[in-house]
Amino acid sequence: MNSMQGASLDAGTGWLILAIFSVLWIMLGAYLGRRAEGLEGFMLAGRKVGLALGTATAMATWVTSNTTMAAPQLALQMGVWGMLGYSLGSVGLMLFAPLAKRIHTLMPSGFTSGDFIRLRYGKTTWRIFLAISLFYGFGWLVSMGMAGGVLVNALTGIDYRIGMSVILAVCVLYTVLGGLRAVIGTDFLQTLIILVGVVILAWLAITKVGFEDMHAAVLDKRPELLNLLMPAAIMFLFNNLLFGVGEIFHSNVWWSRAFAFRKGVGFKAYLIAGIFWMPIPIVAGFIALTVPALGLNVPAADMVGPLVAADLLGTTGAILVFIVVFAALASSLDSLLAATSDLILTDIYKGHFRPHASENELARAARWVVAGLGLLAWLLCLPRITTLAELLYFTGAFVASTIWPIAAGLFWRRANPAGAALAMVAGTAIGLTCYFVIGFYVAALVSAAVSMSIVLISTWIRPGNFDWAVLANSREGHS
Amino acid sequence: MTISVTALTWLVGTATLITALAPIILIIFWIKDRAKGQLW
Repeated sequence: MNSMQGASLDAGTGWLILAIFSVLWIMLGAYLGRRAEGLEGFMLAGRKVGLALGTATAMATWVTSNTTMAAPQLALQMGVWGMLGYSLGSVGLMLFAPLAKRIHTLMPSGFTSGDFIRLRYGKTTWRIFLAISLFYGFGWLVSMGMAGGVLVNALTGIDYRIGMSVILAVCVLYTVLGGLRAVIGTDFLQTLIILVGVVILAWLAITKVGFEDMHAAVLDKRPELLNLLMPAAIMFLFNNLLFGVGEIFHSNVWWSRAFAFRKGVGFKAYLIAGIFWMPIPIVAGFIALTVPALGLNVPAADMVGPLVAADLLGTTGAILVFIVVFAALASSLDSLLAATSDLILTDIYKGHFRPHASENELARAARWVVAGLGLLAWLLCLPRITTLAELLYFTGAFVASTIWPIAAGLFWRRANPAGAALAMVAGTAIGLTCYFVIGFYVAALVSAAVSMSIVLISTWIRPGNFDWAVLANSREGHS
Repeated sequence: MTISVTALTWLVGTATLITALAPIILIIFWIKDRAKGQLW
């Protein structure tokens, strides 16, 4: 990661930006969270989040540091299809729109995605789902924490451990102080920062290089990047689409927002967020196509974004990238902390160990769970296991296996528990096998196909007859 | 089959325009929600 001196800030400037934004997020989180009373106030922001904050939080959470850093990398490696494939991650957000509406209608008092699986499919399927969801949530959290340290180190030279610790500590602190209200409120500002930042960079690339020169230089030096028939890239496109759908359909990050939005907001918020999210990887990614025209030497593909920004705008470009990356990291880290701790609190602590815990006890425990989760993530981030980010790819097999059990469970009375459990287990197992035998780009694809077949066949062979009213009483499990 | 400069211009230009509009739309939503007392 020392390969990008040209894109680095000095440590002093890095510290100044870190300090300014850390104070801003903590103060804003504490201010917004002052009205987060009781369990619903802390976990679900009072269940009355409006369209503006709802749309922004869905966008900000889905824009991770990966979107801003890996989209240019993919464009540099897979060309036009790389950035288009990444942008299809938005399909998950858009497809979740009708699900969010259905979730709110069926479970107006629900708390977590685990609540739904437990009530809809019973305890065995619930535990399989929890294993998948917690594995994914925790893997994503740790990889985001590590990405924070790695990026701060690469962009400013600040030591990995210190940078990672500061970013994690800031996110944990404001999430503990304000719960989901703090997370959603800061997400709004973070969304604006990210959007304005990537547009400025794209505009600079367009005006300083121009499409004609950019196209001619790529055609001359890297013509494969403009090829629309790159098989591996097309396979990546569909795999990425299903990976995204699986991530969103099962994860409590998105379910907790569906519960938190006021009535009538969920569908619109997720649909608009998907539409606005779709172009971001293209805008963030295409600047990599300026590399041949600018004559840049890119020693590490994952740092192409900051390199181009620094070349176009000097130190100001490096500062801009750092601010955008910090906002993207914080907006995802805080959401993961809040949603994963909700799952641990509701489905593990209360669901398995303290079934009669009062709401007051849970509200108190919620803050400790967030802090404990942050501490655990910090400990796992310390060794800087660089392969973990790559390992996260294979969670595609896990999450894609949940798409059909969840969608069918929400809309089909006849989907049955045994089929849902088998779909998740077999989808994951076969998807993982294909990950190792064929490649990362088919894991989610195969897992979703296997899971879909099992759900369809099991529903056809042994149809259930689920009573939707059971879901409406979800609050009983929390009183 | 190579993407033409015109198609690339349209693709990136449209994406940039939508991304530039997004913060304005979000701020309009925020003002409307706040006026109706439905921010939170």
